[in-house]
Amino acid sequence: MKLTVIWLAICLSALAYGITEDKFQFEDPEQTKLFLELTKELRCPKCQNQNIADSDAMIAVDLKRKVHQLVQQGNDKEQVVDFMKQRYGDFVYYQPPVNSMTIWLWLIPLLFILGTLTWIVRSRKVPPQQEDSDRLKQAEDILERDE
Amino acid sequence: MKKSTLFLIPLFIFMGIAGFLYQGLFSDPRDRESTLISQPMPEFLLPDLMNTDVQYTQEVFLGKVTLLNVWGVWCVTCAIEIPYLMQLQREGKHIVGLYYDQDIDPDFGVKTVQRVQQEVRDKLAQLGNPYAYNIFDVKRDLSLDLGVSGAPETYLIDQNGTILLHHIGDLNPRVWEKKFAALYQELVKGS
Repeated sequence: MKLTVIWLAICLSALAYGITEDKFQFEDPEQTKLFLELTKELRCPKCQNQNIADSDAMIAVDLKRKVHQLVQQGNDKEQVVDFMKQRYGDFVYYQPPVNSMTIWLWLIPLLFILGTLTWIVRSRKVPPQQEDSDRLKQAEDILERDE
Repeated sequence: MKKSTLFLIPLFIFMGIAGFLYQGLFSDPRDRESTLISQPMPEFLLPDLMNTDVQYTQEVFLGKVTLLNVWGVWCVTCAIEIPYLMQLQREGKHIVGLYYDQDIDPDFGVKTVQRVQQEVRDKLAQLGNPYAYNIFDVKRDLSLDLGVSGAPETYLIDQNGTILLHHIGDLNPRVWEKKFAALYQELVKGS
């Protein structure tokens, strides 16, 4: 009995999955692959921490429809991403471009590591012991006085 | 001297982090630069919402400073915004609606235009009608070209059909003062 229920659940979920996937179909399996890849990497502008494949927001469905249309027209990945960036900004793609603003994301940790390393190396260096003749004399004086 | 400066380093790091986080309290993650600023209005050919025989193109914005307001009857914030739009309209501002419908309606399927028109009529009868006319974005293509992420959103378009401002969220006196007022006055004076 339990097994049947589980089976039923699996079949139903497979069915549900099939239905959502059916909405956007391609004849070329390469295009299907590209579509799935793009919908995973494009970000939903409304629900900001989801990609458009995951999101059911209306805007995400619209973007998926547009991606489907663009891929079917034979656009490659870069063209589709550019199309979306033109409208929704760099924000819409999960891979941010390296520019004068974002370069600091890479530079700051590097500079921090370099700075810390030089600091450690420098503080490790023991300053050479300079026996100052004055102090030696002083010490000798004290010793002599003791005697 | 050397020792005391060393002790100050953690203080400065703390102050830097605190300043960064404090400023984060006032930043809105939805607030991002629109890519359409100073771009001409995208091309389109769409019908009037109430009279689908009338067709509009991007040229409809030429010659007038326009506030293009994206809305729908299903949008709760829009209903709250409309009274303020009424006020703007009474002050003589030219407000155009960009209407779109949520056609993904699993229970009832695709709506007829007549039904959408009836809903709009009911809504505007209740709240007042600030719109000179409404452009019906049937398939939401224009919304996509405009980078709309959800209603309500408002664009300020100058008399040459160039987009000067894109505001995500509702219009209210505070937003108007902060983002729109100065630019709008300048445009109106220029024309």
